[in-house]
Amino acid sequence: MAHLTVALAGLGTTGTHVVRHLVDGELGGLLPVDRPLRLRLPDRHVEDQARAERIIAGRVPVEFSPVVGEQPPDVAILATPCRTHVSVATELLRAGSHVVSISDSPEDVIELLALDELARANGRSLVVGAGMAPGLSCLLARLAGDQLDEVDAISIAKAGTAGPACARQHHQALKRPGRDWAGQGWELRAGGSGRDLAWFPEPIGARDCYRGALPSPILLHRRYPEAQRLSARVSATRRDRLTSRLPMLRKPHQDGGPGAVRADVRGWRDGAVETIVYAVAAFPSAAAAAVAVGAALRAARGGAPMGAAGLSEWPNPNEVLADVRRLGISISTFTGS
Amino acid sequence: MLTLVRRVVAALGLAGLIATLFRLRGRGGVPPQSGGWRELDEGELA
Repeated sequence: MAHLTVALAGLGTTGTHVVRHLVDGELGGLLPVDRPLRLRLPDRHVEDQARAERIIAGRVPVEFSPVVGEQPPDVAILATPCRTHVSVATELLRAGSHVVSISDSPEDVIELLALDELARANGRSLVVGAGMAPGLSCLLARLAGDQLDEVDAISIAKAGTAGPACARQHHQALKRPGRDWAGQGWELRAGGSGRDLAWFPEPIGARDCYRGALPSPILLHRRYPEAQRLSARVSATRRDRLTSRLPMLRKPHQDGGPGAVRADVRGWRDGAVETIVYAVAAFPSAAAAAVAVGAALRAARGGAPMGAAGLSEWPNPNEVLADVRRLGISISTFTGS
Repeated sequence: MLTLVRRVVAALGLAGLIATLFRLRGRGGVPPQSGGWRELDEGELA
């Protein structure tokens, strides 16, 4: 019986959660009946392999080899640090695999979207930004946007980081300019500026968030080109902002702990202005992995659009959101003022 | 000449200190006054 091969590049904090979500079975219904799951994991670090084998515990066959390998996987999830995704994605698309990238680097996102033609030529899907933000942020924005007649503004805010690579990217993002869509074009605004108090579900609560090099607006603009304002901010402490221009002063945590993401969508419904807010509070590593796994299994079954696209462009993005919920990530809406 | 350099350094230092204080102090807005978060059920994602 032919297996459905899911390859994973990167066995860090988020990659480990990807393995856990894949083998825990909550999304078993997404697997084709006649194609049991087989995992292909990176063969670089013995400790990572041992940890993955403990999680898998013999429940699915696993091979440790390079992500493309002799036979291309049906779908590959790229969970390596930013700026390593484009070349691997190109190789995988050429080999005939669907690709899911969780990179949150604006440069990666722009370069991955430029692989659209290659993906289409090979009849494959390249899911760009399938982590927490972008990823879950795009799904929440689309969930809100679908309830409005017209979307006027989307504001994304994110708190917390996953593993060390994510913490480094967060540090980088704060010192680099943020790209906001302002109706007629893109505005570059200084990283660390634009303080905004964002209210997340508990245990995160209220956090001051700032502009930075964040890719969610780039992806949301593809789905909502008519919107007047698309922006993203990330939470930061005073120390984060004070030291953002310096190299990281200490080694990042193995897991950044609880975090959150929220999408604040304003628009028009039945002639009246309405604001809808959705949010998720979860460990960013677990939430990003849940989005990536949902997107990957949907893509493997042909549920993703051909070519390169973000999750807000999918025909049925709520299916991925439902997958995320089944994997234990609660989605909340804010009611009040 | 040395006095001029000292004054320039002092002025730049003071400007940097004031900029840092402006950058780091204060808060970004008013928290919500009423309402709260409600978890979505599966039906709301259909």
